[in-house]
Amino acid sequence: MASGHPRASGDAQHDRAGAEPHGPNDFVQLLDPDGERVEHPDYSVDFTDDEYRELYHDLVVVRKLDAEATALQRQGELGIWASLLGQEAAQVGSGRALRPQDMAFPTYREHGVLYCRGIDPIMPLSLFRGVDQGAWDSVAYKFNMYTIVIGAQTLHATGYAMGIALDGRIGGGNGSGNGDEAVIAYFGDGASSQGDVNEAFVFASVFHAPIVFFCQNNQYAISEPLDRQTRVPLYRRAAGFGFPGVRVDGNDVLASYAVTRSALDSARHGQGPTLIEAYTYRMGAHTTSDDPTRYRIASEVESWQAKDPILRMRRFLDKQGIAGEDYFAEVDAEAAREAVHLRERVLSMPDPDPLSIFDHVYPNGSPLVDRERAQYAEYLASFAGEAH
Amino acid sequence: MTPVSRVKEFKLPDLGEGLTEGEILKWLVNVGDTVALNQPIVEVETAKAAVEIPAKWAGQVVTIFHSEGDTVEVGAPMIAIDTDPGAGPLPESAPAPSAASLAAVEVAPAEGAVEPGLIGGPAPGGRTAVLVGYGPRSTTAKRRPRATGPSAAQPSAPQPAVAQPSAVAVQTRPAPAPVEEPVEPEPVAARPAATGVLAKPPVRKLAKDLGVDLTQLVGTGPQGSISRDDVQAAAAELVEAASGKRSSAAPATAEPAARPAGEREWRVAVKGVRKLTAENMVASAFTAPHVSEFYTVDVTRSLRALDRLRAMPDWQDVRVSPLLLVAKAVLVALRRYPMVNSSWAGDEIVVKDYVNLGIAAATERGLIVPNIKDAGELTLRELADAMTALVQTAKAGRTAPADMAGGTFTITNVGVFGVDTGTPILPPGEAAILALGSIREQPWVHRGRVRVRQVTTLGISFDHRIIDGELGSRFLHDVGAFLADPEAALLAWG
Amino acid sequence: METLTIGKALNTGLRRALEDDPKVLIMGEDVGKLGGVFRITDGLQKDFGEDRVIDTPLAESGIIGTAIGLALRGYRPVCEIQFDGFVYPAYDQIVSQVAKFHYRSQGKVRLPIVIRIPFGGGIGAVEHHSESPEAYFAHTAGLKVVSCASPNDAYWMIQQSIASDDPIIFLEPKRRYWEKGQVDVDGAPEPLHSSRVIRPGSHATVAAYGPMVRTALDAATAVAEDGRELEVIDLRSLSPLDLDPVFESVRRTGRLVVVHEAPSNVGLGAEIAARVTEQCFYSLEAPVLRVTGFNVPYPAARAEEEYLPDLDRVLDAVDRSMGW
Repeated sequence: MASGHPRASGDAQHDRAGAEPHGPNDFVQLLDPDGERVEHPDYSVDFTDDEYRELYHDLVVVRKLDAEATALQRQGELGIWASLLGQEAAQVGSGRALRPQDMAFPTYREHGVLYCRGIDPIMPLSLFRGVDQGAWDSVAYKFNMYTIVIGAQTLHATGYAMGIALDGRIGGGNGSGNGDEAVIAYFGDGASSQGDVNEAFVFASVFHAPIVFFCQNNQYAISEPLDRQTRVPLYRRAAGFGFPGVRVDGNDVLASYAVTRSALDSARHGQGPTLIEAYTYRMGAHTTSDDPTRYRIASEVESWQAKDPILRMRRFLDKQGIAGEDYFAEVDAEAAREAVHLRERVLSMPDPDPLSIFDHVYPNGSPLVDRERAQYAEYLASFAGEAH
Repeated sequence: MTPVSRVKEFKLPDLGEGLTEGEILKWLVNVGDTVALNQPIVEVETAKAAVEIPAKWAGQVVTIFHSEGDTVEVGAPMIAIDTDPGAGPLPESAPAPSAASLAAVEVAPAEGAVEPGLIGGPAPGGRTAVLVGYGPRSTTAKRRPRATGPSAAQPSAPQPAVAQPSAVAVQTRPAPAPVEEPVEPEPVAARPAATGVLAKPPVRKLAKDLGVDLTQLVGTGPQGSISRDDVQAAAAELVEAASGKRSSAAPATAEPAARPAGEREWRVAVKGVRKLTAENMVASAFTAPHVSEFYTVDVTRSLRALDRLRAMPDWQDVRVSPLLLVAKAVLVALRRYPMVNSSWAGDEIVVKDYVNLGIAAATERGLIVPNIKDAGELTLRELADAMTALVQTAKAGRTAPADMAGGTFTITNVGVFGVDTGTPILPPGEAAILALGSIREQPWVHRGRVRVRQVTTLGISFDHRIIDGELGSRFLHDVGAFLADPEAALLAWG
Repeated sequence: METLTIGKALNTGLRRALEDDPKVLIMGEDVGKLGGVFRITDGLQKDFGEDRVIDTPLAESGIIGTAIGLALRGYRPVCEIQFDGFVYPAYDQIVSQVAKFHYRSQGKVRLPIVIRIPFGGGIGAVEHHSESPEAYFAHTAGLKVVSCASPNDAYWMIQQSIASDDPIIFLEPKRRYWEKGQVDVDGAPEPLHSSRVIRPGSHATVAAYGPMVRTALDAATAVAEDGRELEVIDLRSLSPLDLDPVFESVRRTGRLVVVHEAPSNVGLGAEIAARVTEQCFYSLEAPVLRVTGFNVPYPAARAEEEYLPDLDRVLDAVDRSMGW
């Protein structure tokens, strides 16, 4: 579907962090905000009409599910929700670029990537509802549990990628045997300041690990803007560590797909790591109780609305005659159905059993924990009536 | 679904710690409209900005409780939605805000309010919103009711698995019994060896203060541990044993075993306090070389003095007895011969400035010897009161262990049993003990003629390491002289 | 039976583990070519290759974080932190990730990681090379913490830790690395998380772990000349603690002294004292006493002898206990 030369990173000479890229010279773009296709010397996509429509469908559903979760939080059904509003293209594009054998390490906001990997969207909601800590089998799903400590997962991703490389040489790990696996590590602009992320860059480059570092630069880490994290465009940090970096229009699903696919293929073919900076914007708040009006102005938000990822995709489909109002309405309806279904499942999630807090502390168990469980069970049984 | 529950009231989110209100800016729906889930239904403004509130249920708007421009307290219902409009007409009129929902409303503050849902503002469920979760909720100071009292919560304490350890001490260290998986409290399977006893620290301290050897005791506390009562009982017996009389009757603490039918001998186990007593008596008798002396005295004048004393003002209700004068006689004599008020400490003799005067008292539990602290500083009246109190307390069985400790001189009244005298055994730590015999009419040479007089024999035992014959005799003679003529003695030595 | 130093016993145990399971990796700073700054991994890279004995960049958090990824990939990483005082950059990865992964996943994901740390003082070193950080890890649910005190235990416990699926902090008493002892290479080991009476006695119990076990044994030897018999217990596992042998001992002797280099405030001794008081209340002739480092940062080399508990301080505590 996609092709791309592995090593492009077209950067202008003196771009500063925070100086917004304007056009194709500043970041990779294949679809502009008006829905017009743009040519790029190093990247292109070659989708069928069906594939374009599928991309649109994913974008719309991902946004709708995200909105539903936001509403659930406002209604007290979730304790917290990290909204991806505005970042759909970066997530759907990169998520779709992953091959089935690839492994992804998300932060706590990659619900769009999760959806594109065919994983049940209910999975993270137990974490945000507080019934568990987001407990799924990272390895089986090839999608790690959400990591809340900022940047920590980039080291895990790097180690996993190192393991892939070792498998090839010593055959010791649990490789799928499919060969040519790659790893993608997601993190944000704020995380790029963390020591762990920088150490991950060191390890990945020193060990030539098959990993793509995908940074969604949504311009804010809670309230702190990009220029609080870096004096140089983020994608250029990679050069300091010895591997290529490329900036892509994170609101352009086609470019996000192309660049990620290319970087993943480089990695899986033994060419080492790439850093992708997806330039996007966090349209919502950091989490649902954050108040962005405290630190950013309305006109900035408005200017990004004009660059909305779904809007441009719809315009493109319309202009190219790939889809029309009927299709859009159909997708909206399906998204609404999925949202209702998600809501019902959230509302029927059972609260954790009180004694379950003692489970799974260690694979081999612990006499101390067992003792405490027994004592607490006896204590609970000593009360009349229902628990608090 | 009943008609009532199908109509749901949508309230502004419940109050958290802070109190807020919101002003209805604009209704986005009207009564009778069909609304979809999450459809924005109203714009509410608080301190900062307007926020759209999405509908929590789909259905038909039945009632709007407040108009645009109204200020609504958080927790107050704003709108009622019939969630099952297809189920037929609603009975009666739309319900007013329920009493419960009104009761949840609290007064709004004037200023500083944070928008519902933002950090510091009210959040659903009575919480306060934070960045990363549901937020804290306020708690009440109220205890959950237990099923059957606190004891129901106790894990069943393992019953003692082994018999109480016998104080017949095992000479070898026993193999420790297997320890159970520790569930509180401590597993009982452990048995104390000869070197270890089960006793809480405060009980150990008490034992130390009273001079009780814990290893000799049978514990009646939990898990076979030794309790305070066990120690106090042992202490009392200890004092009794030390001041015991050779002529005493069978001690009250003997516990005869059940006598098998047809047996002509019965055995009393020597254990616990009896054993302790026996050992102490042996220790005293065969450590301190006892010398006993006797002095028979005409105490008629004392008895007459007591009569006159009883008639004195303020003395009518005071219990006076010969023992009172004997006590006074002893105190006076001890001031003249302080070496008698001492104890043997190996390479030195400790002579005491104070007299803790022990009076042997017969009680239901047996003989105990409580002492009057600093008796030498008391007036006769105070001494009388103290002796009365001491005896009454002893008979009531309420003598405190501290009262039985620290004696420096003891008087034992064997006269109450009708015997003339005896050779008492020294209490541990004392140098002398006086036995008062019965006072009887006897023929006596009084002023050259044989008359019937009130006569008694005083007996003293003393520790010949401390007190030699001369000292002991002089002391005894002083006591006798006092009782023969108390007025002259008090004038001379008081 | 072989006579080995603790260091050599660890080396031999690591070698066995590498032989037995191809998934076992060793990783850390200077562990490969150099064989480790204490030579614990000496010769292993030569025999097993750079892919199994990995020299890492100088980044402790990176070592542990990538070990997590390797564990997810199916490997069994044995990480070395070069010195106790340098574990702190990795502390977040250890307590926020290694400790919590299994619980977070509700049992679906295991991280069979061993983190080896030479710990304790007595080597006359500059700052940060003589720490006792065990309490930080014992206090963290989801981690297990052990410490060997003899060559035989070193040989067996390192293998058992690698074979265990639990994440284990493996503390090695660096001042004892060169002390020799018998290693029963064909024997059957004790369970990993068990403590053991290593010298029987009747007058008082002394419990210790890691470098202080030797100190406790020396104290017992010294005082035996005066007719006093101390029972010495090597705790071996700090989390979970195996205190049943300690309870059993205290019920016989009535007295306990706990010895560790770490400061007393909130140290392992405090936990042991609390549990022994709870379980052996009626048996205690004296309160549980602790002989520990002082509540100051580890001092300069020429003053460290003041700080470290030694034989005399242990016996002073025993005397105080006996005097109660």
